[in-house]
Amino acid sequence: MSWRDAIALAVKTVRRRPGRAVLTVLAVTLAASLLTALLTISTTAETRVLNQLSSGGPLAGIKVAAAEPDPGQVDQDNASPGDPKSLDDAALQRIQDLPDVREVIPIVSTRMFVITRARDKDDHRIAPFPEDVVGVDLTKINQLPITLTAGRLPTPGSLSEVAVTQGYLERLGLERLDAPQVVGTALEMASGQVVPNERVRGRWTKFTIVGVVAQEASNGQFLASTEVVDQARDWASAGIDASRALDLPTSPYTGLFVVARGIDNVSKVRAQITAIGYSTAAPENLLASVRRYLRVVEIVLSAVGLIALVVAALGISNAMLAAVRERRREIGVLKAIGARDRDVYRVFLVEAGTLGFLGGVLGTALGWLIAAMVGRVVNGYLAAQRLVGVQLTLPWMVVVGGIVGSTVLALLAGTLPAVRAARLPAREAVSGT
Amino acid sequence: MSVVPGASIDVRELSHRFSSRAGTVTVLDDLSLQIEAGGHVALVGASGAGKSTLLSVLGGLEPAQAGSVEVDGADLSGLSRTDLATFRRETVGFVFQHFGLLEALTAAENVELACSLAGVGVGARRSRAAELLDAVGLSPRARHRPVELSGGERQRVAIARALANRPRLVLADEPTGNLDDDSTHLVVALLESLPADHGCTLVVVTHDATIARRAQRCYRLRGGRAVEEDA
Repeated sequence: MSWRDAIALAVKTVRRRPGRAVLTVLAVTLAASLLTALLTISTTAETRVLNQLSSGGPLAGIKVAAAEPDPGQVDQDNASPGDPKSLDDAALQRIQDLPDVREVIPIVSTRMFVITRARDKDDHRIAPFPEDVVGVDLTKINQLPITLTAGRLPTPGSLSEVAVTQGYLERLGLERLDAPQVVGTALEMASGQVVPNERVRGRWTKFTIVGVVAQEASNGQFLASTEVVDQARDWASAGIDASRALDLPTSPYTGLFVVARGIDNVSKVRAQITAIGYSTAAPENLLASVRRYLRVVEIVLSAVGLIALVVAALGISNAMLAAVRERRREIGVLKAIGARDRDVYRVFLVEAGTLGFLGGVLGTALGWLIAAMVGRVVNGYLAAQRLVGVQLTLPWMVVVGGIVGSTVLALLAGTLPAVRAARLPAREAVSGT
Repeated sequence: MSVVPGASIDVRELSHRFSSRAGTVTVLDDLSLQIEAGGHVALVGASGAGKSTLLSVLGGLEPAQAGSVEVDGADLSGLSRTDLATFRRETVGFVFQHFGLLEALTAAENVELACSLAGVGVGARRSRAAELLDAVGLSPRARHRPVELSGGERQRVAIARALANRPRLVLADEPTGNLDDDSTHLVVALLESLPADHGCTLVVVTHDATIARRAQRCYRLRGGRAVEEDA
């Protein structure tokens, strides 16, 4: 009997006993769905936690400061920068040329004077204050450690839009949940220029706050396009000795955000950048620890799902053994008409595999649905907390593992009944019940 | 088309015992029996006389415990499980009292399964099954499952299935035991035509004296031995 014939016969036999088949498949379905849901949720949770740790940027991101590295702290996640050091295009190019670097995103910043009409919680006007404005290429925002928590990001290249950070909210006496209140409000910012006689004149620009972000690209309560910062710096540098008089940075770039080719290359790239002569920071030790912890959680959850699958497999084994007992005469007849032991073995094994496969497919789909429902509930909670929701991740390994694992376990569970069926004597055709 | 004669059977000093906690029962005791090729033989006897056991041994459903069983000169005594399966697949067709049809399959699929086990190619199976079902007058019921057929129809499907491998020996165990009179006549007529139409030896186990009398030879099993009776 060919495998094709065995499959056809097994499928028809399974359909012949729908009640038992449905119950057996249901057990596998529930187990596979539990495994899929647990792994999907844990994987999504892992992504969420790691993204939080990396503030929304890529896990393989490294912050490079315009400063010398401190030799005593190069192995630390947040190494203290050494003496200031100019970070220019030549340095950027050297870092860009490192083999394990995928991308380098420059970060610029400048200090500006801010006037806002907003009032604090005691209804007092906020006094004008100096604050750093961070400028980045907003088209690459997804690769930077910047997370939008309310409103939207400034339009790339815009000279009139900014986003603010939690620090700005605190300055106004607002909580995180109050973030939408500042979206759409206006403020004015000026860059200074020192003119003769030690006088300073400002170049004022009106801005609209379009969003609230959490960002770790650089220090500063305002996030804008690179063009905003460049214009401000050009204005300041057109004056007399701007850096000393106005305490402005002299380095062309305030920092760089370097994306390594994979999280495993972060350490290597950091060492290479340190060798080039710049201070770096990356939460690699923290990420490694958290990943280890999350891996343990994942293993525990997988074990729970696997135990359920094993219990379901035992159910298959039990159902198949009962089937062998009930079908002794049918097995005998099969042998009487010429089936060999291996033919009978195949039929029963395929029956078990069919039940496992069906359970695996249905269970994986159901598990995904359960995870999606849990995800919706969690996202609803996060949205109520003004936090960014989670994007559910269904790793292909979970899908393949759910279906293949269920099938393989069912085949293993079906082996004993199949062997028993194959070893039944052919005389059961005459004497069996 | 000339029909090849069926298989000859030569049983010598065949003994068979069943052991259980309650003790050992000798079912066949130095039984000897010869059946000529193309013959039609009936085995009769009381319940427990060993008719079905003899049929099982003749058909290779179980090995002979002592003595020898030769079918067309081939001794079955020393054959392994696999070789016995090959023997059954290539030489024997079984018809059971309980029909033995697979309930999950249609009449045609039951016959096709036997064709498949006999090594008939995928394409030829369907036409062979149709041909056999036509021969037993069941073409219109080919797509029905056993549960949708009467007892007589089921037994005719079983006969069609028994012929799937072009057997040289057809063994029928109480083939009319579950049938009404009309169906019995149909099935008996069908079975009796097999040696001539399909070139096989026919051995029928029966309690029915009428059926036994229609065989060329009739053996009664008593005390573990076979004694020929006048037909």
